Amino acid sequence: MNFDYQQIDDVIHSRIRTSIMAVLVSVEEAEFNFLKEKVNATDGNLSVHIKKLEEAGYVSVKKLFVDRKPLSKYRITSKGYKAFEKYIKSLESIIKK
Amino acid sequence: MESTHAESELSLIRKIMDDSRRINIDNGIHYIFWGIVVTAALIINYVLLLTKSYMNYIGLMWMVLMISAAVVDGIIGRKQEKKSKVSTFAGRTLGSLWLASGVAMFMFGFLGTMTKAYDPIFISPIISTTLGISYFTSGTIQQIGWLRNTAIGWWAGAAVMFIFPSVHTLLIFAAMLIGLQIIPGVLLYRKSKELI
Repeated sequence: MNFDYQQIDDVIHSRIRTSIMAVLVSVEEAEFNFLKEKVNATDGNLSVHIKKLEEAGYVSVKKLFVDRKPLSKYRITSKGYKAFEKYIKSLESIIKK
Repeated sequence: MESTHAESELSLIRKIMDDSRRINIDNGIHYIFWGIVVTAALIINYVLLLTKSYMNYIGLMWMVLMISAAVVDGIIGRKQEKKSKVSTFAGRTLGSLWLASGVAMFMFGFLGTMTKAYDPIFISPIISTTLGISYFTSGTIQQIGWLRNTAIGWWAGAAVMFIFPSVHTLLIFAAMLIGLQIIPGVLLYRKSKELI
């Protein structure tokens, strides 16, 4: 059965971005390499997708230096929570139809 | 989007969320550190009592050791927090639990005896009882059954030390720290290395 595609959030609706959001919803904050392992992505691929989520205001980044090495830590924003919740509800409504 | 696609998407999300929530949040370093420091202090205390030497300095020895250890532990914790790959609500809850029980143990150990509220011989069972609460809660938060069950050991040991108070309770407590704190700490450390 088909579904109105306009109800699906395009920013989240991609395997890798859905996975990033699912990880960040479950933890408070995650470092880049941790996300990379969890979603099984390459550096470049992950950067591109995180950037999309950042631009949409769903994810925020904190950049810091630890032992002179750069470290990026990501967390989901309240806008991101709401969007992810809405996305889940959309999926559930498709299943119910 | 088709219903089957939505179902597989939802099940993937559930799986990722479940996996991420099961992240090992306690790497055992604090257990090992405090276990070694307190065991060393207990053995020194025991020897000083048996040899009846520097008896007046036992309280001061504890005070200096515990405050220094708290400072060092704070520095270790801060460094770990900066380096950590992930931080979770459960991790923050655990941190609060151990901070609160640490404050309670400092009060039992120092204020309780300085005000002569009870005989110092009962510090070990009182602290052991407190540790039982902390381990039980910590194991529950992390969903680690064996860690939660160490609480039984802490409470059983506390019961023995309450019923048979003597100078030797210091050694019993030191043995409990090795078996119920340092060894679990090492196991948690190994587990954290495997998972992250």
